[in-house]
Amino acid sequence: MNWKLTLLAGLTAALLAAPMAAQAPGCPSGPSPTRAARMRYADMPSRAFPFGSFIQPYALWFTTPDSLAFDGSGRARPDADWRRLRAINLGFLGPLDPQYSESVYGIAMLHGAELALARANARGGFHGKPFALKIHRDSPLWGASAIELVRMDYRQHVWAMLGSVDGASTHIALRATLKLWVPIVDTATTDPTVTETRIPWLLHDFPDDRQQGYALADYIFNQLHLKHVAILRANNRYGRLGYTVFFNTARRWGKQPVMVLKFEPYATGFTRSLRELQQLGMDGLVLWCNARQAGLIVRQMRALGMRQPVFGPSRLTYPALIQTAGVAANGVVTVAAINPDRRDPKWLAFRRRYRARYHADPDAYAAYAYDGMNLLIAAVRQAGLNRTRIMDALHAYAMRSYAGVSGTAFFDYTLNNIAPVTMARVEHGHFVYWPERRSDWSRRGWPGCTAAAGR
Amino acid sequence: MKPHLPSVAARTISPRAAARLRVGLLAFTLLAAAAAAQTPPLYSRWINYTPANGFPRGEVYCVAIAGPRVWAGTEHGLALIENGRLRKVFTRADGLAAYAIMSLAVDPNTGDLWIGGLGGLSRYSAGKFINYTVLSSGLANDLVYSVAVRGKYVWAATAAGVSRLNTWTHSWRIFSVVGKPSAPFEEPWAYALAIGPKKAYIGLWGGGVVVYDLRRKTWRPYLDPDGAPEIVLYRNQGLISNMVSSLTHGAESNAFWAGTYFGLSGYDGARWHNYMRQDSGLASNFINGVALQGRRVWAATQRGLSEFDPGARVWVTYRPANWRALDAGKAARPQRGEILITGPGGHPRRLETATSLAHNYILNLAFQGNDIWVATAAGLSHGFAAPARRILYAHPNRVHRHPARAAYARQTRH
Repeated sequence: MNWKLTLLAGLTAALLAAPMAAQAPGCPSGPSPTRAARMRYADMPSRAFPFGSFIQPYALWFTTPDSLAFDGSGRARPDADWRRLRAINLGFLGPLDPQYSESVYGIAMLHGAELALARANARGGFHGKPFALKIHRDSPLWGASAIELVRMDYRQHVWAMLGSVDGASTHIALRATLKLWVPIVDTATTDPTVTETRIPWLLHDFPDDRQQGYALADYIFNQLHLKHVAILRANNRYGRLGYTVFFNTARRWGKQPVMVLKFEPYATGFTRSLRELQQLGMDGLVLWCNARQAGLIVRQMRALGMRQPVFGPSRLTYPALIQTAGVAANGVVTVAAINPDRRDPKWLAFRRRYRARYHADPDAYAAYAYDGMNLLIAAVRQAGLNRTRIMDALHAYAMRSYAGVSGTAFFDYTLNNIAPVTMARVEHGHFVYWPERRSDWSRRGWPGCTAAAGR
Repeated sequence: MKPHLPSVAARTISPRAAARLRVGLLAFTLLAAAAAAQTPPLYSRWINYTPANGFPRGEVYCVAIAGPRVWAGTEHGLALIENGRLRKVFTRADGLAAYAIMSLAVDPNTGDLWIGGLGGLSRYSAGKFINYTVLSSGLANDLVYSVAVRGKYVWAATAAGVSRLNTWTHSWRIFSVVGKPSAPFEEPWAYALAIGPKKAYIGLWGGGVVVYDLRRKTWRPYLDPDGAPEIVLYRNQGLISNMVSSLTHGAESNAFWAGTYFGLSGYDGARWHNYMRQDSGLASNFINGVALQGRRVWAATQRGLSEFDPGARVWVTYRPANWRALDAGKAARPQRGEILITGPGGHPRRLETATSLAHNYILNLAFQGNDIWVATAAGLSHGFAAPARRILYAHPNRVHRHPARAAYARQTRH
């Protein structure tokens, strides 16, 4: 009798759980490394694999536990004596100068990091020694901030670093750290190539353009069934790298974008480009630029009578889009790095503390920086003052999840967060969020989890 | 009564037979010498320069030879070794521009030493340092990863492109994605340089290899043809990855070898030859440096120093026998050395030596005659070749009893 009751209870639970999972797909609240290990690299959608229709590649990278193997001598180096230190220095590299357009992300990132550090110090720091943030400014000039990581190492003896937003700066820091062995946690760049170098010194916790591109491509082509999409992108590194995964996925699905147009990073007039696109008979437009320029494009597009839906990456999910475009922004669909409407207690507590300290709402950059700094602090506390062992502690997150204020991250073998993203649509002047639900996922949601929640 | 002994005359060979014997011995000696020339030496004895004997602590990034002098670029300055003794360690306090020294090049005409590192470029001449940085010269960036000298030009690979100094006119030229004329770089981050008499080979981080014809002033890029970092489509598809960490080129031909973090790529002017740990005797796919010694290519990897003879198709890898314990931090220093010899058959033969490289994480190497100098993550190693010639001449019948040479010979017979 008992087994019948158990079976009945199990069936009832399964029936109840199935619709819940279907309604709330997305991020892993219960990770399943075995299932995740069977995923394609970066949770690539089916039929998006390069040359997948034609040939099996000779070799695959990034899908085995030794993807970031490090065989240096760092583990044998003696730990520093924390008793002799006044503070445990951690580096910060981010765009902070107001004239730099990316400073809006950098300042939020700094605030998130400071908040995490303040909490860690309130809880005793490291054996009673406070953590200290050594702030370095990222510069818009290529390579100008290249020396910052070197200075952090030789002048300030940092144990690890957080940063940066710009993909080029992050790459330069990554190359330097291959020689200097300083762990980097990056919580802001969307450059998908920073985790594709096999340099074992970086953990990346932000939805990159690969994840965003897959989410947008699936939504546009598999859910909305659009066929003739055009791309308008900024002519800078962010625009060039950002749209590539979306473009390649569309091509592999037989939905070759009808045109790709570029514009200068500081352009304000787009009428000429839009008229050109108007004549193509496109049924959707994907933008890859910052929020203000996207707002200008959408406004000018609607003024020309173009009614096609507009899509874009996470950098568009900013109030500047709505402020610039006005009512024309309604209907724009973007990827979002976080869902700020979540009722998750961790997020709510973080938002309350952030508001109290900075008198503003936290954005995705603040939330991820807070999580990233917490990851770093936990790694330092676990490993002690030895950089290689600190990085080893971060490597322990490979194929595991981390529940932070930004949501639940899931790190693959390259230590890149590949958890599902959030989608957003502008409705009546506000962003409305929903979790990503890719058409090739099963009813249980994201393949990397046993249950599903939202980022 | 004396025992009967054969007469001396009975044991003496005829002049004709003696001549035949002399010719035979000469032929044997010549053959043995030829064999010795064809069979590469094996480095079975190592002397290490580590903090234990006063060498700077930390990683050794590069090494350069200037006659009897050996220069080593380290995490904490520039070390000079002369006649086997550490003479001096130069740091920023002595006038160096860089914090850590990434690359060294000796000007064969002037004897000047060019030093590239994280902090700028320096020239050591007549006992003084002259520094070049972004603010004081035409250097594109203060992170200099490679420096090379050819004729009157000094080339520097930096994080924002390649800078070239004309030492006669003191004028600079920058090759990068910006400027006129711009170079066809996918990314401006230059990592490796190899300057030949006719061509300059530039290794770019994320941008493959770009070859500049010095006479025609034309460019030719070589990129990973599949364009997807997550795969290698075909074994010999072209450049194995766009993440190029190191380069070396043949003296006369168009051939060059590129070290990447995904394996080793060689181009012979017509075809590509790619090698990965999975399909060869390469110690690791993570390659920090490459060098050519005749036809043989050397790869400084994070799991040992690999040497490949394309003619014999034999790989030889050197590393400490306890390298796993060293990596894990469970051993402070290497115990014995390990030599792995892998032939076309693919099954490595393992030999042990009494001395070893300072560490298995190898960053670079240079040759000083028959000797080899290896920059490792835990010190500088000086390797001595097995005395092959002495063995051959002294004990010609024992050539293949020398364990290392015998193992090599067995592998080449496959």
